[in-house]
Amino acid sequence: VTVSLWIVLIPLAGILAAVFLVAMLVRRQRR
Amino acid sequence: MDTDPLVRDYLGRLQAAAWPLSTDRRDELLGEVREHIESALGTAGRRDEVTVRNVLERLGPPEEIVAAEVDGEPGAAASVQGAASAAVVPAAAPAPAWGALEVIAIILLTAGAVFLPFVGPIAGLGLVWLSTRWTTREKVIASVIVLVLLVLPLILLFAVDVPSVGYPLGGSAS
Repeated sequence: VTVSLWIVLIPLAGILAAVFLVAMLVRRQRR
Repeated sequence: MDTDPLVRDYLGRLQAAAWPLSTDRRDELLGEVREHIESALGTAGRRDEVTVRNVLERLGPPEEIVAAEVDGEPGAAASVQGAASAAVVPAAAPAPAWGALEVIAIILLTAGAVFLPFVGPIAGLGLVWLSTRWTTREKVIASVIVLVLLVLPLILLFAVDVPSVGYPLGGSAS
């Protein structure tokens, strides 16, 4: 169960963090 | 006080140098410095040119204030200084939001998380912390997102396993 959770959560964690960081950069660039 | 050209010039330089900060932090910093100048001039009891120059000198160059605000990250002072001198040129293009470091960090966080489990996102976070384009707050939020989701399965594992500690060994198999 832990391994299957990790298979889903590791990419999800990276993608969520990346989306947040990109959004912050884009927001700053627009201002 | 803002009518004082020396102070206005100083605050203008501070604003130009503060491009790496978020708008909120930039406004906050400008307000704090303005307040500090006002209070120092109030204490001095004079607003002549020498007093104003002394107060501004004690504050230090705007670039250094911003560099300290960017948490002394490597190269922050240099990039801030560079940006300030670029801002003096009226037609200077704004600094691009993306550098190679940022692009690699994002790739490691997304594709890296799929192809290099654990190593990819952690290395991506490392690069995020090395970058000066994100504020400390943003870096902390991104780190928390990654770390919480990486640790969550372990927490669930322990939460599920704890009740089974008293389970008789091999008892359920027969």
